Amino acid sequence: MSKSGVIGSGFGIVLACALLTAAWSQPAQAEKVLRMAHDLSMGGKESLDPLSPVRFWEVNDLLYNRLVRLNEKGEIEPELAASWTPNDSATEWTIKLQEGVRFHDGSPLGASDVKYSLERINDPALESPVTSVLGMIDHVEVIDALTAKIVLSAKHAGLPILLSDYRVRIIPDGSGATIEQTGIGSGPFKLEEYDPEGRTILVANPDYWEGAPKLDRIEYLAISDADARAQALLAGQIDFSRVAQEQGPLFAGNPKFVLSEFPSGGWFGIVFRTDVAPFTDPRVRKAVRIAANREEMVKLLAGEGHAIVTCDNPVKASDPYRADLDCPQDTELAKSLLAEAGFADGIDIDLHTSNLETGMVRFAEVYQQQVAKAGIRVKLVIAPGDGYWDDVWMKETVVVTSWDERPADQILNEAYRSGSSWNESYFSSPEFDALLDKARASLDFAEAKQAMVEAQRMLFETGGTFIPYQQNVQFAYDKSLTGITPVIEDQIRWDLVDKAEE
Amino acid sequence: MLRLIFQRFGSACFTLVFIAVVVFGAVELMPGNACTAYLGRDAKGAKLENCEARLGLNRPAVERFGEWAGNVLSGDLGTSVHRNKPITELVGWRLRNTIVLSAVAILFGVPLAIFLGVLAGLNRDRPLDLFLSSTSILAMTIPEFVSATLLILVFSISLGWASGVVIVGYRAPVLDLVMNSVLPAVTLALVLTAHILRMVRASVIEVLESDYVLMARLKGIPFRRIVWRHVLPNSLLPAISIIGLTMAWLLGGVVIVESVYNYPGLGRMAVDAVSDRDIPLVQAIALLICSIYILTNLATDLLALLLNPRLRTFRT
Repeated sequence: MSKSGVIGSGFGIVLACALLTAAWSQPAQAEKVLRMAHDLSMGGKESLDPLSPVRFWEVNDLLYNRLVRLNEKGEIEPELAASWTPNDSATEWTIKLQEGVRFHDGSPLGASDVKYSLERINDPALESPVTSVLGMIDHVEVIDALTAKIVLSAKHAGLPILLSDYRVRIIPDGSGATIEQTGIGSGPFKLEEYDPEGRTILVANPDYWEGAPKLDRIEYLAISDADARAQALLAGQIDFSRVAQEQGPLFAGNPKFVLSEFPSGGWFGIVFRTDVAPFTDPRVRKAVRIAANREEMVKLLAGEGHAIVTCDNPVKASDPYRADLDCPQDTELAKSLLAEAGFADGIDIDLHTSNLETGMVRFAEVYQQQVAKAGIRVKLVIAPGDGYWDDVWMKETVVVTSWDERPADQILNEAYRSGSSWNESYFSSPEFDALLDKARASLDFAEAKQAMVEAQRMLFETGGTFIPYQQNVQFAYDKSLTGITPVIEDQIRWDLVDKAEE
Repeated sequence: MLRLIFQRFGSACFTLVFIAVVVFGAVELMPGNACTAYLGRDAKGAKLENCEARLGLNRPAVERFGEWAGNVLSGDLGTSVHRNKPITELVGWRLRNTIVLSAVAILFGVPLAIFLGVLAGLNRDRPLDLFLSSTSILAMTIPEFVSATLLILVFSISLGWASGVVIVGYRAPVLDLVMNSVLPAVTLALVLTAHILRMVRASVIEVLESDYVLMARLKGIPFRRIVWRHVLPNSLLPAISIIGLTMAWLLGGVVIVESVYNYPGLGRMAVDAVSDRDIPLVQAIALLICSIYILTNLATDLLALLLNPRLRTFRT
């Protein structure tokens, strides 16, 4: 055999192996299977208990139902609850359940299941993160087989929105000890195989109360690396994935995929502690916020069209309670505000940031450049990612922060109400708190919105948190899929998603 | 001879102890501790106290190091904070998977590297040698994440011959793993082959120029016989230690390759543990990888010693 012949046969072996693998990994299937990937963010401890701190939310979305859900327009619509009626003071809510709903084990849904599932939220042994959202549920009364009354410890007109939280799922009465293994809910898919570190398999629930799902099976694979997920999607090993902004172009021009993009409520911000000088002065706080050019930040950091400008307002653009504000860069006003506050020569700021999340440092750098014209001299302090939330955030005076999407009531109360444990800017205003209380107490949407809008305007005028824009979310999926709406995963109606024959 | 072996063992043990101290000490020097790292924004009040009590972090560092080292010696690597499982159980399967992947890469790469290296050495400066040498430099310099992505792009996305990322679970049977790990193994083998090939080539050239080969040639011994009797045995000996080093390097290389291909091995677990801030697990994996590195080096040293009488300077 000649030398080159030997080399050639070496390549031949590789080729043969590759072909063999290809044949091995593509079994012929007539049924409609949707394959997706999760990021293994709980490290293999992913729990089928929807309230668990390590919930397997991707799969739980398919196994269980909520009482109410948000539709594509962001409005509340019935899920297990056919109707929900508050008393006049919004302290008691009467829930009427849908008829004929059955759990995967055949048992019928009843008011006692609702009582059990909701009262569990505040069980201290669970250490559920949902406690911070629905801690005001005092108890639930069973009125009759299909009617339950939720009794709150404080007025809350916005309860239905909070009940649409992706973790507030209804499970069978008394199943708390076994739910994390069995996954018995009333949802459109049933658990067949549970392996968070490998492949979790769900099959259609033919008796689903809203009609049998269009797909036959859903498989969830564990792929922890974001690039590996994109590769798997490109290689046809999965059909759907959320993709990072910079991965978008991989799918944008590709005729085999659909790339959909829509606004979300996730943001980076800069927190100026309102209890530390010079930021105790609202004029200084406003100056450091309006000195930045938000449009330009979107272009430089997120890419044009991949984020929505926001005026220090944490409420997302599609939220019905969002205030529409306008906040162009105003260097002159910033200068004059600083001069009024006694800083005619400008001020010096130590801005703390970290490489904890991609883009956090670049974000701070762009801000540093933009505000220099207004006499705001920013010095960047890059802190280690380890211990950032512990040693830097809520400790140093000026820090970069990062938040995920939350409904208006939740984010405003969690991050700005006086004394709240994640009130990062130490913002304290009785007037602001009163507006939030008013919104919670008023059952009239227009009135509640009015209060919320005023509260958001107050944050823009006097708040200590700079929020220039909110990032968009991108989905990429195989073009054979239909029914994927531009809303975050837990709001997609997976029972209506279909896969066309190739 | 025995003394030399003991000496090597001794220094390996010393290095291991030193590494254990460094791995443990590095975590102590970091801001915060395993609990603040794990809990992040929630590191407050009762949650923090519970976690610190569970891991015994309120005791002095020296005491904790003693306990940790003692447990490691008895085969208990501790408990993962994030995953809440014994680390030995978590790491065991992954170690097997990484060994399977490395073994495939080695079984494929090493013979190929030796064959091509000898070929290049014997054909020094001819077109074949130039081709092999320049290709291997290319293979050595392209980072694994680039070659991995290119391989996926060509063989998986464009041609559809091999599966792109590994989608089998960590407990999959060995055969399934092997069938799924063609591309990761090729990625690893590329660099591995390139390194060993160049080493073998250099040492073949050196031996070809040595006095005893020249003597053999002058005596009129056929070239083929010279290659088999003199060149190969003498040039492959130094290759053993480079093979050992490369195998140890493989353990570093798998970290990237396993992440890109989603291969359920030790390297990916290390990356996941770092991003979850699961410090006890990171410590355990670091220690494990260092130990393997040291043991591989020790084994190749001893093997070289066994095969090469000239290295046995201490005669008993």
